[in-house]
Amino acid sequence: MPHRSRRAVPWLSHVTGPLASLRILDLTSGVAGPWCTKLLADFGADVLKVERPSVGDESRGHGRFPGGVPDREASALFLWLNTSKRSITLDIGTASGRAIALRLAATCDAVVLDQRPSELAALRLTHDDFAGENPRIVTTSVTAFGQSGPHADWLATNLTSYASGGQHYLTGDPDREPLQNGGYQALYQAGTWALGATLAAIWNARACGVGQQAEVSGQEVMAAILEIYLPDYAYRKSEALTTRRGNMSSAVVGIYPAIDGHIGIHAMPKNWPQLMDAIDGRWMADDERFVDNRARLRNDDELSAQMFIWASGVTKQDAYERAGKFRAPISPVNTIADLLASEHLKQRHFFRDIEHPAAGVLQYPSPGARMPATPPVLRAAPLLGEHNADVYREMLGLTSRDLSQLAAAGVI
Amino acid sequence: MMRRRDDVVDSSVEPPTSDLQNLPLYGIRILDLTMVWAGPSGTRLLADMGAEVIKVESARSWDMLRSLHFLKGSPDGWWNRSAYFNHNNRNKYACTLDLQTARGRELALRLVATCDFVFENYRADVIGKLGMDYADLRSVKSDIILISMPSHGKSGPEKHHVAYGTNVEQLSGLASITGYPGMGPHKSPIAYGDPNAGAIAAAAALAALLHRRETGEGQHVEVAQWEAMIGTIGEHILGHQMSLRDGDDGDSGDNIGNRHISRVQGVYECFTRDEWVAISVGSDAEFTALCGAIGQSELASDVRFADLVSRHHHHDDLDAIIAAWTSQRSQDDAASAMQAAGIAASAVLKIPRLMQDEHLRARGFWESVTQAEAGTWDMEGPVWRMSRSPAHVRLPPPTYGEHNQWVLRDLLGLTDDEIADLAAAGVTSNEPNLGVHA
Repeated sequence: MPHRSRRAVPWLSHVTGPLASLRILDLTSGVAGPWCTKLLADFGADVLKVERPSVGDESRGHGRFPGGVPDREASALFLWLNTSKRSITLDIGTASGRAIALRLAATCDAVVLDQRPSELAALRLTHDDFAGENPRIVTTSVTAFGQSGPHADWLATNLTSYASGGQHYLTGDPDREPLQNGGYQALYQAGTWALGATLAAIWNARACGVGQQAEVSGQEVMAAILEIYLPDYAYRKSEALTTRRGNMSSAVVGIYPAIDGHIGIHAMPKNWPQLMDAIDGRWMADDERFVDNRARLRNDDELSAQMFIWASGVTKQDAYERAGKFRAPISPVNTIADLLASEHLKQRHFFRDIEHPAAGVLQYPSPGARMPATPPVLRAAPLLGEHNADVYREMLGLTSRDLSQLAAAGVI
Repeated sequence: MMRRRDDVVDSSVEPPTSDLQNLPLYGIRILDLTMVWAGPSGTRLLADMGAEVIKVESARSWDMLRSLHFLKGSPDGWWNRSAYFNHNNRNKYACTLDLQTARGRELALRLVATCDFVFENYRADVIGKLGMDYADLRSVKSDIILISMPSHGKSGPEKHHVAYGTNVEQLSGLASITGYPGMGPHKSPIAYGDPNAGAIAAAAALAALLHRRETGEGQHVEVAQWEAMIGTIGEHILGHQMSLRDGDDGDSGDNIGNRHISRVQGVYECFTRDEWVAISVGSDAEFTALCGAIGQSELASDVRFADLVSRHHHHDDLDAIIAAWTSQRSQDDAASAMQAAGIAASAVLKIPRLMQDEHLRARGFWESVTQAEAGTWDMEGPVWRMSRSPAHVRLPPPTYGEHNQWVLRDLLGLTDDEIADLAAAGVTSNEPNLGVHA
């Protein structure tokens, strides 16, 4: 099998990470695609992020911004989703822009795309277009509905993806409208699954020398993580678990108000002894309403009342300390401020300071996987087109004259 | 290396297009010590891609999912008929080995010597107590990749805390930014921390595999489920710090429910009660298109809705106008009309509708799976869709200890007498101890 030697780009020679041998062309914008390529980049891949000249990634237009003042270089969403990448500006809708994208892809292991099939066809940037230049290329497409089927060209946002994947209907109170969960969860999940699909296809391409298209549909990702709700319906043909159940799936799987905020409990039958200890509820062992799991299910409302009473008399920290002492599955509903103050996360060096020229020093979460053989070195998100010179001159060998012509034509 | 026996593959469930040797992870073997949802959801992703995943249980330590949501009406063997377990363990093999016995541990380590990965999602201290820590695994397979998925991580003052997926969501801050306006935190309906950590772990495993290919070295990958979940709200972590710098208290922003900072959107009830459509409108052009689509073009020049800031200011008015229109329609008609006008929209699909969705059906998303003890039902096919090597559900979910013979005899080379001795000593078993998850 031909091994590719480690990348010989001088300015990146200090980069470590398990993916330091990979180069990725990133033609995505927004959340799903950029989250996938951020993880690739944080794990060491050389990610060339292609942005529209002068406008850039759409997330540059979303807040929050320092001082509340819109600034395309300082959007919290952009800064978070684009660490460790290199940014180049390129209009892939022009003939010369497309040609440059194909030349860059010829040096890459994968291209990540988030365009709908009609858009890819119009751009003439399908898998076959890339594979014509580089048969080993993996093209990952991450979109709301996938690359085929009657809705493949439908428009989508996080809200509509959450809706089409089945989780939205189940979230919220039974007597209110379905509720979206916080942030961009449907898009993040699509991005995480696109990451895995990309790496599986690259692994395969390295083994057999031929790439392929890896396709991820956000709707399918969300439909695949419906816990017991979908399997129960598919299997038992019962609609019992297909409705919204608010903040409590049961008395011991829910969120309760505490003195200074909220706490969450998630106890399975085997956790019951520890839960009783944690809530000073040993007496319940002798109470016939709570004597075994069957009795507790029958008396769920009364059990819930006991939980309300206990939670209302403790602080989040009290509850959490008792949870740790007795090894009971009780947790604080942490605010963002709680997280940044967490001693546990501090001792694990989870947040790391990264300085950005427009946004200053902020604490960023580390990648969700720790890989000690190859610890990642996170770098600040790039300025728009920050790496044009590196990429166009050093990788493609374009001259100053080439670059000014392309700039004058609005290609870069 | 011995590969799978033909007779464990039920040809009736293997679609003709599934060619095992072409699957991306063909030839990769995983010893899977994970249980419940987080770990098994991660190893399922790799199993779908052709990895040979061998799940290990024992009579005193078996997968809790087997005890949940099983088909009723049969006196025994219900642990093989759980919808929850079966959904998350297709394409895997299952054997029993009691790792708390010396013989069980020894045999597990002999299996490790033939594996690329070991996955575990025990509490932080358990794998060490079993004598199967990374150093132990390395002593039998120098380049082994161990994936550990503890809720809080392997270090730090809270490493002994326990958590399920909803706890992980609460710890991560996500629950605190989910909620109806003015109503406090809200949980996801699912144990969301689990599949999130599973997908991160599967991807990290592949990254470690690529690293091993370059360098020959394995490693111990740690996915703390709490930390993995925080990644999905990273923009709030940065935004909070910006707001503190600006002199806000940082948490002043109330939850925004279904709304968005730079779009106008919501879910709107349709003709049938509790049937909803999600509609999301961004630019001025999209708003003009919306007005046309609902037959009220004059609203495009209404001062209340002149630009995004005005539309946000009068969001409630706009919601009432849109809801009046959707209330006359089915959710499918409303979504189609919006899409035809160039506006992002979708039916808020209830599970029975999701499984009937014409788009997913056209894509062949659902696959019919038959398991001898549980019957036939539909589940989603592999979500990582590969154009050259499409994957399918090729193996039904395993019954408890189903592949004991294959593992003990074919993979480990034990004699029939040795296999009988293991069963007699309780190292292997054909039935779980039911008291564990009563």
